Amino acid sequence: MRNLGNPHRATDGVPITRRDLIAAAVSGAVFAPFALGAEEESFKFGLTPVFLSNDLELLGHLRSYLSARMGGRVELVTRRTYQEITALLVSGQIQSAWICGYPYVQFKADLDLVATPVWHGKPLYQSYLIASADRKVDDWTGLKGDVHAFSDPDSNSGFLVTRALLAENRQLPGSFFARSFFTYGHRNVIRAVASGLAQSGSVDGYVYDVMRETEPDLVKQTRIVRKSEWLGFPPIASPKSVANDRRVKALRQALISMDDDAEGRKVLALLRLDGFVATDPSLFDAIAAKVETVRQFG
Amino acid sequence: MKLLRRFRSIPVSYRVPVLVALLMVVISAAISERVLSRLSRTQESFLNGLAETYLDGLSSAVVPAVLRADVWEVFDALDRSSASYKSLAPIETVVTGSDGKVLAASDPNRIASYSELPADYRNRYGPGVVTIDKASLTGFAHRDLVYQGQPIGTIHAIFDVSHLFAERRAILVTLLITNGVLAALFALGGFVLVRQMIGPMRVLEDRMRAAAHGAAEPIPPREIPAGDSEVAGLFRGYNALVHAERERANFAMQLAEEEKLSSLGRLASGMAHEINNPLGGLFNALDTLKTHGETPGVRDTSISLIERGLAGIRDVVEAALATYRPERSQRPMSAADLDDISLLLKPELRRKRQRLDWSVAWNGARELPIRGGPVRQAILNLLLNASAVTPEDGTVSLTAMSADDRLHIEIGDQGCGMPPDIAGILIDQDPGPAVRAGRGLGLWMVRRVVDDLGGRASIAARRGGGTAVTLTIPFDTEDVKAHAA
Repeated sequence: MRNLGNPHRATDGVPITRRDLIAAAVSGAVFAPFALGAEEESFKFGLTPVFLSNDLELLGHLRSYLSARMGGRVELVTRRTYQEITALLVSGQIQSAWICGYPYVQFKADLDLVATPVWHGKPLYQSYLIASADRKVDDWTGLKGDVHAFSDPDSNSGFLVTRALLAENRQLPGSFFARSFFTYGHRNVIRAVASGLAQSGSVDGYVYDVMRETEPDLVKQTRIVRKSEWLGFPPIASPKSVANDRRVKALRQALISMDDDAEGRKVLALLRLDGFVATDPSLFDAIAAKVETVRQFG
Repeated sequence: MKLLRRFRSIPVSYRVPVLVALLMVVISAAISERVLSRLSRTQESFLNGLAETYLDGLSSAVVPAVLRADVWEVFDALDRSSASYKSLAPIETVVTGSDGKVLAASDPNRIASYSELPADYRNRYGPGVVTIDKASLTGFAHRDLVYQGQPIGTIHAIFDVSHLFAERRAILVTLLITNGVLAALFALGGFVLVRQMIGPMRVLEDRMRAAAHGAAEPIPPREIPAGDSEVAGLFRGYNALVHAERERANFAMQLAEEEKLSSLGRLASGMAHEINNPLGGLFNALDTLKTHGETPGVRDTSISLIERGLAGIRDVVEAALATYRPERSQRPMSAADLDDISLLLKPELRRKRQRLDWSVAWNGARELPIRGGPVRQAILNLLLNASAVTPEDGTVSLTAMSADDRLHIEIGDQGCGMPPDIAGILIDQDPGPAVRAGRGLGLWMVRRVVDDLGGRASIAARRGGGTAVTLTIPFDTEDVKAHAA
């Protein structure tokens, strides 16, 4: 399991480039003690607010499942922003993280996909533009002049999708919306819109739909104005520097076979996910296209 | 004043409980005021402490977010703090930035982020930590956010203080009920106590009332409470009074009896004398008749002598009967009454060799509308008194003068004047003390006659020594009417 011949590597369709090797060499040099003592160190798994990070029960089950399946201590690392987790991940300070498609696309060169969640049978989700429930707007253009709540500047569904939508229509958030702010959490976007702090918000469709079950009273105060096209679900990625770490492979295996285990099924039930699959990076090309659109418009 | 008089007319057994209840009301009002004012201060200091804590906690939570003008973080802090400070019941909290614009409010639908803070939010604060608005049952507080000596924003908070007022109301109600019950209990206690205290007074009152309508009876020993020395003392005092009064009354009765007997004796001896005087003549006449009865001149003279002698005796007996027979006393007064008096008095005057100045100015009527019996008795008593105090060979006078509606009678003597306490029996408003002393019963009888007939008496010193007693007796109007009819 510890050899380089990762069977999934080939299926990922990402050839080992020279850059990868340099990155691996650099990170290996920098984190030599870590790499050498990897067997003894706990496996650090980062979590972004992409999912319901406030659920301590879920974290407990997830840690216990991953520890059992990977045969070692697993440490769950949470941070307030995507950026912090992405930085930790790219710099190799954590071995794996559940990140958003947007930072994955941004740091695609430094990251390997471990697995992608499957929701309603597909590794796909949408971004929603939401407004308060009693508001009468026909489409997203009716949100012009709003105070708008974004989730996170590094979130695909909570920022990039709306930003790209505006860019396609030759608009900038600063001019289209009267004001906008970041709440650093999809749940917070829903709270901001429900409370009236913001008149509209950009939110992860998966989080929104799950919260419809878990916090119906809160979600009931909002309505969906626009659903985006289906996009790659926020994946689990790890830095290329630890591509040879057996625990990354063990993690992938644990994730993909989560449905086979009772504890794993508890985690999936809490997450309302069907399971995890190994996906091709091309799944996130649509997100990469949005990044390009935004970049071109400025 | 009228109210006070009316209050005083309420019996003491009701007045005391009412006073006790009123006192309790006043005391409870004072206590309630103190309690509520103390409670109010305690509540305010408690509220101030809570508000300070709330504002302190919130300040430290929002300062970094306010520095970054992070709307969401400020809102999130407000949202979470509202759940953590339930005892303070914050209704609304608004955080403004250094530009005075709203960063976030706990209810963004009321006050939107990025909007100007309503002007009344700035002007509603008083000098204390929390300013309470009693009308809306809310409290206001604010806290300036300062970072490195620079003002960076302000927290404005409104708290629901209705629970404080509800607590005050509940305590007030409790106080009212407690004090009301206490006042009622005290009033009831006062009522029972006063009833118990004035119980003996009632016994005394009943006895006195009974005494007013008849003989005063002492309180039987079994009714004298053994334990209560004050009441027992009072009852014993009353009994001593009753006994003393009874003794005095007995004594007075005895004296009156003696007086009656003595005046009767004097009259009887006078009468005997009056009858005895002609008796000698009568026996002489009888002897003359026995010896010389055949001689017509002597017989006629003797019979005439006997006739006159008997007539004199008859007059004296009739006068005595008229004076001392009550059924004759209702007759109207006539001149004959005065003649009878003169006749009855004669033996006593003769005995003391006294002269009677007799001046009657009658208005010509045969009778006066005055009850004759009592008046004769009164005049006779006064004349007997006058005679008693006048030295031998002195002069006693009677002047009777009838006016249109009254009769004036003046009796004069040559005595050394009437002592004031004896004179009081005739002329004082209350003749009681002198009478109770057992003196001047003859005068007391005169006084009663004068009072009965609605007249009055006066006493004056006569020029040249002696005393003149004047009776003024008004005519009986019913008799006048009867006469007119």
